[in-house]
Amino acid sequence: MMGTDKKLRSNVSQPSIIEPGQPASRPDDPPLLPGEKVMGVAREVTYLCPYSGPARGVLSVTNYKLHFRSMDRDTPYVVEVPLGVVSRVEKVGGQSSRGENSYGIELFCKDMRNLRFGHKQENHSRRNVFEKLQQYAFPLSHKLPLFAFDYSEVFPENGWNVLEPIAEFKRMGVPNDMWKITKINEHYEICDSYPAVWAIPAAATDDDVRAVAAFRSRARIPVLSWIHPESQATICRCSQPLVGVGGKRCREDERYIQLIMDANAQSHKLYIMDARPSANAIANKAKGGGYESEDAYQNAELVFLDIHNIHVMRESLRKLKDLCFPNVEEARWLSGIEATYWLKHIKYILAGASRIANRVETHKTSVLVHCSDGWDRTAQLTALAMLLLDPYYRTIKGFEVLIEKEWLSFGHKFQQRIGHGDDRHSDADRSPVFLQFVDCVWQLTQMFPDAFQFNETLLITILDHLYSCRFGTFLFNSDRERVQDNVKQRTVSLWSYINSSIDNYRNPLYLPRPGVLEPVASVRLISLWKGLYCRWNPGMRPQDPIYQRIRELLVLKEQLEKQVDECKQEQKARVSRNMPTPPRLASPVHS
Amino acid sequence: MFKPQEKRVSMSFRSYVGLNDNETKDVDIGVEENFNEQLNTRLLPGEAVVAEAQNVLMYAPLSEKQGKSGILIVTNFKLSFVTTEERHREEHGLQENLLLGENDVCLSIVDEIHQMTGDKRRRLLPGSSVPPKVKGLYIVCKNMRVIQFSFKFSPVGHGKTLTNALLHHAFPRKHHLLFAYDFREPYYNCQRTVSMFHETSDWSKELSRTRAVGWKISTVNQDFNLSTSLPRWLVVPAALVDCQLMEAARHFRSSRPPVWCWSSSQGAALVRMADLQPTITDSRMLVIQPSVIRHSGLSNIVPEARTQENIMLENVRKGHPQRTQPELMELTQDLPTPKDVYLSYCKLRDLCTPDVRQFWIQDNHFLSQVENSKWLSTVSACLMKAAKAAAFLQENVTVVLQEADGRDMSCLISALTQLLLDGHFRSLSGFQTLIQKEWVAMGHPFCSRLGHISNTEIQQSPILLLFLDCVWQILRQFPSAFEFTETYLTTLWDCAHMTLFDTFLFDCERDRLNASQDRSKPITLRTMWDWGEQFVEKDIALFRNPLYVPKKETVISVQSSLPNLALWSQCYFRWIPLLEIKCGGAPQTDLGLRALHAQIDNLREQLAKVKSGEKSNRITCPSISKQRVTSFFPFSASIDSAISPALLSSTLALNSSFVSNEALLDSQSLLNAPD
Repeated sequence: MMGTDKKLRSNVSQPSIIEPGQPASRPDDPPLLPGEKVMGVAREVTYLCPYSGPARGVLSVTNYKLHFRSMDRDTPYVVEVPLGVVSRVEKVGGQSSRGENSYGIELFCKDMRNLRFGHKQENHSRRNVFEKLQQYAFPLSHKLPLFAFDYSEVFPENGWNVLEPIAEFKRMGVPNDMWKITKINEHYEICDSYPAVWAIPAAATDDDVRAVAAFRSRARIPVLSWIHPESQATICRCSQPLVGVGGKRCREDERYIQLIMDANAQSHKLYIMDARPSANAIANKAKGGGYESEDAYQNAELVFLDIHNIHVMRESLRKLKDLCFPNVEEARWLSGIEATYWLKHIKYILAGASRIANRVETHKTSVLVHCSDGWDRTAQLTALAMLLLDPYYRTIKGFEVLIEKEWLSFGHKFQQRIGHGDDRHSDADRSPVFLQFVDCVWQLTQMFPDAFQFNETLLITILDHLYSCRFGTFLFNSDRERVQDNVKQRTVSLWSYINSSIDNYRNPLYLPRPGVLEPVASVRLISLWKGLYCRWNPGMRPQDPIYQRIRELLVLKEQLEKQVDECKQEQKARVSRNMPTPPRLASPVHS
Repeated sequence: MFKPQEKRVSMSFRSYVGLNDNETKDVDIGVEENFNEQLNTRLLPGEAVVAEAQNVLMYAPLSEKQGKSGILIVTNFKLSFVTTEERHREEHGLQENLLLGENDVCLSIVDEIHQMTGDKRRRLLPGSSVPPKVKGLYIVCKNMRVIQFSFKFSPVGHGKTLTNALLHHAFPRKHHLLFAYDFREPYYNCQRTVSMFHETSDWSKELSRTRAVGWKISTVNQDFNLSTSLPRWLVVPAALVDCQLMEAARHFRSSRPPVWCWSSSQGAALVRMADLQPTITDSRMLVIQPSVIRHSGLSNIVPEARTQENIMLENVRKGHPQRTQPELMELTQDLPTPKDVYLSYCKLRDLCTPDVRQFWIQDNHFLSQVENSKWLSTVSACLMKAAKAAAFLQENVTVVLQEADGRDMSCLISALTQLLLDGHFRSLSGFQTLIQKEWVAMGHPFCSRLGHISNTEIQQSPILLLFLDCVWQILRQFPSAFEFTETYLTTLWDCAHMTLFDTFLFDCERDRLNASQDRSKPITLRTMWDWGEQFVEKDIALFRNPLYVPKKETVISVQSSLPNLALWSQCYFRWIPLLEIKCGGAPQTDLGLRALHAQIDNLREQLAKVKSGEKSNRITCPSISKQRVTSFFPFSASIDSAISPALLSSTLALNSSFVSNEALLDSQSLLNAPD
């Protein structure tokens, strides 16, 4: 994995050399980020590496990270973990524990690893770092700010400007005859989990919008996500209708859906893709939700995409972690993967997205996507379908826009799903929904190696900072909350960091091309992302990166191009020196 | 060499869905009109038609709804389906074997023949009686291809006649019934880069290339008096005299005492030998109960044999410059037997040849079924063994591989070990040399293991495929270490069943020599490595890896654990159109790199021209940005892979001269793109 932030990504098993001359107050201090402070230090700590055995050294805790540096090895060996990654800190053993390293601290991380440290039993040597770990891994539970609000590094690029909603709509040709831009939600009064600016059918009035909002779960009404530049077929997103057991209907909602259908002259039909398994959709009626009946919504075809809920996904990832960390059970590896159902879930999400893209592209028919609240599975589906349909989103900047738009602005509840700074590790609202989306994107990059401008490093960097709390990007649940807390003013955007060293994230094979990607959603072609899930295990060697070789060739090509041009210039200069009259070559040509 | 006959191209498959019996009449008329054109299969010199069925439907893969109609022909070489609706493979950029038509398969690649009755399949075994009415055939090939035919529009009796002929000719009982004996095309071997190991010079060259000391070439087996399965020239410890070797050999299974295959730069050698004979041939020896022999353990070894083995190993030790004790690696117990490998392959094959109903059902449990097949764990075990042998050799310890008859896993492990240690064998010609040395010369029973001949006593087993799969895994982990591509490896497996080449035709060198000298059944030996016999330049160009960086000295440390391995999707999935990714997969990388190489060459040439003062126009390289190939390129099962022919041929033409990085650096480039 090239070009990643070594400070963050330092593999626990791979010794990295510490650069001397870091501006640290004491020689033991770890390298610090602007705004980062050392909060606690413990000496003579043993890091129990599951792969290379115990290492003795110094453990430091800052307001951002945990830093361990070995003292007993020739090349210092460093483990760094941003505290945002930690989901649980526990004491292991007590004063009476016997046996080497039976007394210490164990950390359970959100990025598929656990860390174990052994402390000396004398003088409660672990007490201080344990307290500091608790405080700074879970600042919100201790009334402390998240690190992003202390972090003060300045980057040449400003990532907060990546998404300009109006400009993005304009790129798609909106407003037009059929779609308008509305600021009805400017103060988040209609829907507090939606962005301030929406695109809706031009014929819809503000009263329509209010009526529809009353009939949709959490007022998440159908709004435009993407429009096909030629056919005008659209992808819209929303939450479930509040049908309930009684089968309630809402004439305004039905008419509004008809407006979406009518906005696309190519088709007299609309697909409503309900991401859930039909059984779950039916069960939701008991809680006042449900799905659109085809009787009420004329010309709409309802399709269930069989994607399971956040709880099922959380359980699936838990099993996957058991399988991948610390060591893999070789003999039962494949059936073990199968038993986690992780790849099967990925397959259904990809199949759903591919189906949506196909309806829009091939059938020229608009698609309305929802699940229950429309902020988890819906975001996965719309974002992936857009990635399949629109080459713009396959560029680095375009991908940032896609995440800003479909995930952040439409209120995927990052705060709840990740649990930033919160010590309730078993909170039922946590779920790897966004991770699953990034996994799906990775599967696409494997199936289409030259279709994406970005590489695996970008995806892993995004996931690392999904948890790290160094940047403001993934904090909070909605735009409304971000505006309220002045996130843009008070924190740094992850895209500032990435766009300031954008070359690290480029795919050298990238060939911009128009057209739709048609992935194959079969378990035979979906693979476990070992570069992510098994990256802590040195025995799981990723494929030798061919990128290095390709880069070399690209550099060679550039050099040659330069040489050719230089030679030509030189020759031209010589020719003009030697011959006062223009050479024959340059004489006007008859046409 | 052969000009493909002009064929009409039709764009789409015809649907024959839902035709009731009363509608059949109308269709028959349509079909007969088609046949007014007189379809014929192209016959090679010496090839003859055995049976023919008319108005046959060939279904599209994994479909029982779409198909094309034509005639089905069995010859002494192939099963041929000829249709008016043939697509032009050249236009699709797909690989085209010059000896076969698009819908042809050679008879030896046919693995199983099933008779279709409604939805049910019944396997037809060679020699079994064919029922009077055969409605359809479901043919599974050894390269995982499935071809399905229906005789529902054929004249009465055609189905049965054809099935009979196919059963008879696809599973011949005698070697001289293979097509190599009938093929009458004159042959002039023009490949010179591969050492064949037919002559002593090849062995002495290999000895001096590896700078082996302490080893010599013995002529004791010149007339196959020592062992029938070993080559005529044996490299043995220098201290050994021929009579010692003769004496020792009879105590080893198949009379195969230790012989040399390779030496490291430090002097450690890789040696292979068979297990000791558990049975007694000498009347002076003790009589051992046959039941005891069956559980052949070391205890059944006759002391005399053990002594001989020790004498041999002592001589091997003396072959080492430091007289280091050799490491004996037991392959029989640690690796699957040929039969195990065959059973594993059968399970894998069943997974890769689903019908359309099975496909999505299988998808739900695919991973555990792959695990259950044990194919990948076998690959893992082989890689681990080879890595272990390589580690010993790197520590300058001689390794002696010991296996039952020393003709199956020994070939595989020995070749893999050398591939890990010696960059010479990672070039294309080096790899072919390696196969000649470790497989062909050392007597891997290709004829039996590939199932060229049908006989219940013969154990068919795709040991070669297992080897190619292992090589593919290494290639996947080290994409720039090999001069060849996965397309080459896949093609090699396909072509191993082309029974008109001698490379994979015989069980051992003696059989090859005898066959070539038998005037009553004349045969021309032609080597597989002469790829121009089967493919045109554009297809051969795809054998060469655009990422290759030759590094002769580098040792490869392969990860053999199962989580680091993958199922070889090009080789096993390419006939399943449902798995074909349009504009995706590894070929995108491969073709992108080829274009990049072409651009670099182009620039070099411009630079040379500019420097020499020549007038030069900016040569425009054709861009591959509009490239439209699928993930199974240059193989494809799907019928609608629309590739722009012009773009493709220009890219491929550009690549045909691309040889290797080294060659590229100073090549007088042939990659002249048109202005």
